[in-house]
Amino acid sequence: MSDWPDAAVDYVQAIADTKLVIGHRCAQWSLAGPSLEDDIGGSSAAQEEVGHVRQLFRKLEDQGRDGDWLRGAREPEEFNNASALDRIDGEWADFVATIAPADRAAWYLLDAIDSDGMDGMITKIGEDEYFHLEYHDARLETLAAEQPDELQATLEETIPAALAFIGPESYDDESDPLVESGFTSVSAADVRERFADHYRDLFADTDVSLSGVDWDAPDADEWDETRRRVGSGGVDEEDLVQIRGERNAMFAR
Amino acid sequence: MTGETKYEVFARRNEGDDTLHLGNVRAKSDRLAKMYAHNTYDEEDWDYLAVVRADDLLEVEPQAMRHGVSADE
Repeated sequence: MSDWPDAAVDYVQAIADTKLVIGHRCAQWSLAGPSLEDDIGGSSAAQEEVGHVRQLFRKLEDQGRDGDWLRGAREPEEFNNASALDRIDGEWADFVATIAPADRAAWYLLDAIDSDGMDGMITKIGEDEYFHLEYHDARLETLAAEQPDELQATLEETIPAALAFIGPESYDDESDPLVESGFTSVSAADVRERFADHYRDLFADTDVSLSGVDWDAPDADEWDETRRRVGSGGVDEEDLVQIRGERNAMFAR
Repeated sequence: MTGETKYEVFARRNEGDDTLHLGNVRAKSDRLAKMYAHNTYDEEDWDYLAVVRADDLLEVEPQAMRHGVSADE
């Protein structure tokens, strides 16, 4: 049924799941940001991320994935979101420093796809993502001036997690299986370089140092290529109840 | 960058339309102000959207205009 390589279905699944959890986290913060404008931004981003997820899930259903399973009838370990999003401990700076790298990594992976029938959808998602990523960076700049220590500590955790989500540095043009199959035109190694350059430039003239970040993560031998992370774990059961809309379904009876 | 600044927000729907004053946002940087304006006023598909620091608005003083320019000015 599938006309994509198995690795490509897993790749899009991981992007969709990451967007699903980003949307959920943005919705959680949409009444708890430091200003009304941040609340509105969170609500807007949450709606757009859910829209992206619905489109990506449709593509995955075309490739044979079960719709109910996609929409939440699965265990936490079956959600292949970027690991930093499993839970966010802390305050606003931690939230921004967690969402931003995961969102940027997900967009770079989506933008790397070179597959028939995906171009229009990716272009449309890119129009939304421009504003999401620009907002994240604008917020990271202000937080770098106000709370550099908190920001730096969180980024030292979330950037390696985002690098694991992108893929190991050994996946270059010659060895990245998705490039070899023709599903993507940019290797994980090149995406990593673009990602790293972006954040090094963003924080270059701030009090945030990224010298403590493990830029070599993940260890290729420990990397789970399906979940695009190292190690186990997943989102909390309470998050899944909300993502599945179980309580909404109870009200709708 | 840590202080908040008030920005006035302007937009037009189509090229050639009058530019409208939509409202304002408060932000800690110009970059953030532009994103706040976009997120807050994104119900329309604007042809043009801009923010101006409220401090940079130059007031035209109507009283002075009504009195006209005196002969010795």
